[in-house]
Amino acid sequence: MVAFVTFALIVLFFTILVLIGKANELSEDLAGKGMNYDSKSKWNGYFLLAFIILFFISIVYQIRILAPIMIPKPASYHGEVTDRLFYVTLFFMSIVFVLTQTALFYFAYRYNQSKNKEAYFYTHNNKLEVIWTVIPSVVLAVLVVMGMRAWFQIFDVESRDRNPMVVEVTAKQFQWMVRYPGLDGKFGPRIIDKEHITPTNELGINFEDPSSHDDFFADKLVFIKNKPVLVKLGAQDVIHSFYLPHFRVKMDCVPGIPTQFYFVPKFTTEEMREYLKTQPWWNTTNPETGEPRWKTFKYELACTEVCGRSHYGMQKEVVVVKDSTEYMEWVRKQTAIYVPAATAAPADSAKAEGGSTSGGKDAKVVSELVRKK
Amino acid sequence: MSAESTTIPAEVHGHVDADHVHGHEHHHEASWLETYIFSQDHKTIAKQFLITGIFWGIVGGFLSVLFRMQLGWPNDTFPILESLLGKWAEGGKISNEFYLSMVTMHGTILVFFVLTGGLSGTFANLLIPYQIGARDMASGFINMLSYWFFFAASVVMFSSFFIQTGPASGGWTAYPPLNGMRDLAINKGSGLGFDLWALAMTLFVVSSLTGGLNYVATVLNLRTKGMSMMRLPLTVWAFMFTAVLGILSFPALLAGVSLLEFDRLLGTSFYLNNIVVNGHLLDYKGGSPILFQHLFWFLGHPEVYIIILPAMGIVSEVLSIHSRKPIFGYRAMVVSIMAIVIISFLVWAHHMFVTGLNPNLAAVFVLFTLLIAVPSAIKVFNWIGTIWKGSLRLNPPMLFAIGFVSMFISGGLTGLMLGNSPIDIQLHDTYFVVAHFHIVMGVAAFFGMFAGVYHWFPRFYGRFMNDTLGYIHFYITLIGGYAIFFPMHFMTGLPRRYYTFANFETFNNFNFLTQFISIAAIIVFLAQLVFVANFFYSIFKGRRVDVQRTEEDGHTYGNPWDATTLEWTAPIERIHGNWAGEIPSVYRWPYDYSVNGKPYVSQDTPLAPGEIEHK
Repeated sequence: MVAFVTFALIVLFFTILVLIGKANELSEDLAGKGMNYDSKSKWNGYFLLAFIILFFISIVYQIRILAPIMIPKPASYHGEVTDRLFYVTLFFMSIVFVLTQTALFYFAYRYNQSKNKEAYFYTHNNKLEVIWTVIPSVVLAVLVVMGMRAWFQIFDVESRDRNPMVVEVTAKQFQWMVRYPGLDGKFGPRIIDKEHITPTNELGINFEDPSSHDDFFADKLVFIKNKPVLVKLGAQDVIHSFYLPHFRVKMDCVPGIPTQFYFVPKFTTEEMREYLKTQPWWNTTNPETGEPRWKTFKYELACTEVCGRSHYGMQKEVVVVKDSTEYMEWVRKQTAIYVPAATAAPADSAKAEGGSTSGGKDAKVVSELVRKK
Repeated sequence: MSAESTTIPAEVHGHVDADHVHGHEHHHEASWLETYIFSQDHKTIAKQFLITGIFWGIVGGFLSVLFRMQLGWPNDTFPILESLLGKWAEGGKISNEFYLSMVTMHGTILVFFVLTGGLSGTFANLLIPYQIGARDMASGFINMLSYWFFFAASVVMFSSFFIQTGPASGGWTAYPPLNGMRDLAINKGSGLGFDLWALAMTLFVVSSLTGGLNYVATVLNLRTKGMSMMRLPLTVWAFMFTAVLGILSFPALLAGVSLLEFDRLLGTSFYLNNIVVNGHLLDYKGGSPILFQHLFWFLGHPEVYIIILPAMGIVSEVLSIHSRKPIFGYRAMVVSIMAIVIISFLVWAHHMFVTGLNPNLAAVFVLFTLLIAVPSAIKVFNWIGTIWKGSLRLNPPMLFAIGFVSMFISGGLTGLMLGNSPIDIQLHDTYFVVAHFHIVMGVAAFFGMFAGVYHWFPRFYGRFMNDTLGYIHFYITLIGGYAIFFPMHFMTGLPRRYYTFANFETFNNFNFLTQFISIAAIIVFLAQLVFVANFFYSIFKGRRVDVQRTEEDGHTYGNPWDATTLEWTAPIERIHGNWAGEIPSVYRWPYDYSVNGKPYVSQDTPLAPGEIEHK
């Protein structure tokens, strides 16, 4: 019934509109100015002028309201470079935007036929056209050069730290499997065949290799401030995309094709909160927690390639700790995937298993020796 | 071939049509079915494309209203949705699965069925023969097939809404493996829904190719006497190059989708490798999901120019006519269309910067992507140059043309950010992209299309659309279009195609804004219904075109906008074969407005003694 009434009202509304339109048309015809657009042009000239002025005002207003709630400053070193490039581009864009929009709407107002009866026959101006071809070309060339410098800085394998922290992230519907190499710093190798990939070992980790014994799955991503990270990415079923909005990191996880992203976190979670504390919007109360927003701030991992019905749910927390001590403390609390008596162990019994920790300790001694070299 | 097709219709149709108008149908048994349904007349086919396009526009727009309701009010339920959508909205809440279906179908419908089929199909069909001075398309029969393949594609695509597993839901880009396996456990829409999608797209490609080949053949071969290429209106240039783009790029999509169906139905592994589902390794080996993306975007990027070039052509023409002033820099406009066509084939991988593509490749694609901004910028400056010192008739088509330029600037500029790979790392697949392409190829192309419909409605139906309703439509769409998409730029970093942002602390700050956008979207959708009402009302009751002269054979003539192009030298009645007598010859370029003290000089007017032709 409600649907019917709504529908009827909408139809009525449109009928009235059409009748108003028709009545206007008839009254114009009666006044004998059916196809004369003088007064219509005059009014629309004013409307267009008003539009552009209000549009510019609304942009200023939008910046004031919305800019503070955007994703805050980058938390990685390369993110600062890409953000700077964004703002440089924005600068050039804004100039072009304001000039062209103003010209467009001002001319539409200024030269409407009620103000300008006679059009000026003017077909082209080669000099002008060369100028407005060359200037954009130069600006674009500058942007391309800046962009490529930044790009090859981000993907320059040569200049990278030879010994970054490596995290393996494998995406599947609809979760992230985050594998850390454990105390030995080495991942157990994976073998892609039907024998190794099983419902209890989806990644096909070869547990016969001892380096796999202290590998662990983490419920969050933990990075160390100023310690380069190489995230090795993969996917099980469909394409996902590994996205760390605060770190300006995004790379697709493609089944069957390994990808990776290398970056250096710059601010710990705590430091970011301290920074946000100085921002007015982040001091407002979050209605859900009842506390200032900066207090519950956290870095997050999201999926940005549509991957099925629960695409929007692929969330994981990301934490940046201040140094390796804090990191090691966290690592020691984790439970290895490997279960010594792996014959019939279901996945969740691994958590209850304490035996693997001792194996881990041995491995830790070895790995710390290796690192000292 | 060209000689035959130019002469035969001239004699046969010209004769028959005189009878048509008088209501006798002796020579040619043109039944009702042949005249209105299986017609080979370009004008009827244009109307068929337009009305099918309007139908799809309403469907596609309505889908966006539905998913905007979910995005704007993620915690509320709307019982009316359950009565409308049944199990897809149990309890009045759209399911996450169907949300993705709607997003997928919204994209597919608007990109292909409205802004390609509806836009190119309508105006290329209507204007190419009229403006080059031809009786009809090179092959009327193939032209008819083009529409009917489009119709078949539409039926198949629409039918996918009514199947058990729902329509395709893996995104309009159809990436495998999400769409690459008929495994309902992975994605329900990847079942029969996607097969129908693929079938519909195949039929669509056939329609687009048959149409495109016809447009190119017609423009190259059937121009009337004196209509050299450099005397073509910019509309015709745009339609011809649009067709060239389509002919060269749609086959890549067809190839891509065919291989995808091989994977899905025959168990090949073109796009699949080492897929693990629930801990079981599947047998696919050695394929690459990225290969599909290359094939898709090899069409996909030219496709956005297939959408925007016809709009650019229409706007160039409309701006010039209603400014009473020649288009500024005609040659530069033609050259920039050509430049766009060539460069648009060299930019596709800018959709793939973060797929793990070799970073060195990105350099090439960044260069060409930013390079394509140069011809686009030239066009914008030339449009502004065109209205400068004009005498602007601010009627609905002119306003939409101005709105097009404004939208094209706003949306085009953000392309400079997205096209630059380091910035794209953050912006890829976020609302910033949504804002960018909706403004530049969605709203802008619609503005171009509306400018065309309001402007050429008298050519279609011999009547005008209502101005008052046109103005209402324009201002709500202009303001509403910006209200929807401009604030989305501030949602930089919020991922696309999310059913709700509630799971993320990071993305959950924009609730009031998503609501605002949803309200704006609903208002803009309703404003489009004003257009639809105006359109259908005006077909029957619109103000008639003033008759300026009546010939002996009873044909009436009128040129409502004082335009120079040939379509207005044909009778208002729209006869088969277009001109009752001989096809007019052309003596000058199409932009002689406000020249030598005359408001306009039609293209078929010989040069006055001593007059120098504009070149």
